[in-house]
Amino acid sequence: MFEVMLKELRELLRDRKTLFFVIALPIVIFPVLFGFVAFLTSKAALEAEQKVHTFYVVNEDFARPFADTLFYHRSFKRYAGDTKFDTVEALRDAVRRGIIDVGIYIPSSPQEQLSQGNQTRFQVIFNDAQSINYIYDRIKKVIDEYSAKLTEQALINLGVEENKQAAVLKPVLMEKVDTADRRENIGEKIGAFIPYMLIPLVLMGASYPAIDLGAGEKERGTLETLLLTPLTRTQLVLGKFFTILISSIACALVTVSSMSVWIWVASGFGALDPILSAFATVTQWDFLLIFALLLPVAMMLSSLVLAISIYARSFKEAQNYMGPLSMLVFVPIVISVLPNMVLDAKTAWIPITNVALAIKEIVKGTVDYQAVALIFLASTMLAAALLACCVRWFSRESVLFR
Amino acid sequence: MIQVEGLKKRFKLSREHNKNKTSDDSRERDGHFHSVESVSFQCQKGEVLGLLGPNGAGKTTTLRLLSTALSPDSGAIIVAGQDIVKNPLHGRRHIGFLSGTTGLYGRLSAKENVEYFARLHGLKGKKLKDRCELLFETLDMTSFLDKRSDSLSTGMKQKTSIARAVVHDPQVVILDEPTTGLDIMTKQTLLSFIRQLKEQGTPVIFSTHHLDEVDMLCDRVCVIDKGISCFEGDLGAFREQGQNSELNQAFLNIIQGGQHV
Repeated sequence: MFEVMLKELRELLRDRKTLFFVIALPIVIFPVLFGFVAFLTSKAALEAEQKVHTFYVVNEDFARPFADTLFYHRSFKRYAGDTKFDTVEALRDAVRRGIIDVGIYIPSSPQEQLSQGNQTRFQVIFNDAQSINYIYDRIKKVIDEYSAKLTEQALINLGVEENKQAAVLKPVLMEKVDTADRRENIGEKIGAFIPYMLIPLVLMGASYPAIDLGAGEKERGTLETLLLTPLTRTQLVLGKFFTILISSIACALVTVSSMSVWIWVASGFGALDPILSAFATVTQWDFLLIFALLLPVAMMLSSLVLAISIYARSFKEAQNYMGPLSMLVFVPIVISVLPNMVLDAKTAWIPITNVALAIKEIVKGTVDYQAVALIFLASTMLAAALLACCVRWFSRESVLFR
Repeated sequence: MIQVEGLKKRFKLSREHNKNKTSDDSRERDGHFHSVESVSFQCQKGEVLGLLGPNGAGKTTTLRLLSTALSPDSGAIIVAGQDIVKNPLHGRRHIGFLSGTTGLYGRLSAKENVEYFARLHGLKGKKLKDRCELLFETLDMTSFLDKRSDSLSTGMKQKTSIARAVVHDPQVVILDEPTTGLDIMTKQTLLSFIRQLKEQGTPVIFSTHHLDEVDMLCDRVCVIDKGISCFEGDLGAFREQGQNSELNQAFLNIIQGGQHV
């Protein structure tokens, strides 16, 4: 059995295609891609932030201080053209044609309306279809400030002193005292992301060599040679299984270590300080536990892809099966990301979901070791069942000589 | 020696095949293709048996049954005193098998291929090294031992395959059309290797379409047609039953004679 494994490993190491997918892709290409995406996003955000919006106010005289604040605001520029707009429709048209970025229609003087006990509605016209857009927030801030000034004046007129106004406006405040510490809080968000990345990697690390070891062997006509050797089918299957297992774990490990190097590089620029300080309490024991949990997943996925690969007639057929499989693997991971999903006696029995949830719990620092033991049991049982399937299929003539 | 008695093997036909059944082959019945219906022959120590028959007669299936890659529905294959149908591992230890579908691992060198299979057969250390070196010498393989078998020529591959097939010093050697597609030199190496096996007393069974090879090497001939072994005997009996001293004509006569009956 170990002879089979050693030889398969040696052969894998000589296969550039598989090496590329298992090692080069996670080490170099993923970080570069992630970096590129992060770069583009931050660039877009920066551009949106630095953008100066052209504005036009209809009836500025109704609210002079408001118009002045906008005029001196560093993110706003008054429309410099000669055209006059005097209705909401005209403003809308101007925004559509790109003459101005935002138009504000003031129907009447807020000060006069306030004295009569009426509210005034400012209509703000702009295109809100961009996902990173500061116009609304910026205008709102200016309007809120202006509104607060008016309130303050009105209250003084009513005889409420300035130092009592806060209490009058909001007599009761609410303060949140969170029992979750920062690690638990950030862990809930990041912890779900880690299995989302690791488990597909485990699958990828398993499926490439698996296709080669099962269907590839059929296609290259070496399967019959192998079947003639005095090894039981179980020995052959186990030899192949361990090769795939090693490869899948190697793929995950290589990725994790390359990620940590890149994170270390990124933290050199101070980009991740808040997250890092929150996770200062994540111990090596936790990392070991995450790795240990990946093991049953890797076992399960390895035996699954091996079974598929043995069943498939050719390389191409095996690849056709792998596509939908990776979709199937995503479903239980997505389940674990659903809000308020926790690891309990029920979810511990759903394969992959259970591991994803447990990894999240570990990152949050709230893991229940009994549940982890349960997961180990469930996953190992499933892996063993799938392996038994492999052995069965590996002995069936109709599968071997399809 | 090896003794084969009453081998039978049928394959299930696919559903589509059953639905639009067009051929009226007598071997296609009750949802199965009866590839081998009744094959019996034997090969004594130091004998070479030639397995003849038209394409699709069931030769390859018969040989695959002997190699234990497939298991027969009924019948017995006795090698070294044991029925390998009941004990396939025993068969795999004592049979050396080579066919067009027993390929080599392309990413391993010729040497690694042979050594790998030697290890799977339980050879270790000095024993393994000595055995491999002897084979490499006899088969004249030393010039390409460290080349990846992907990049070997057909002849080199065939030599490597032979070394692979006999690395465990089998008691019976079975070759399925070993000379197909080889040039004259490599074919000669192969034929002299078979001769050498014969001298050592190892029985060899090989299937072929070249009757000149049969004439050169074989002591006995077995003809399989439509899954049934219709002739077994030495070359003299073959010529006699075929009523012709020319082997090709004798073969045709035997096949046609079987069909008339």
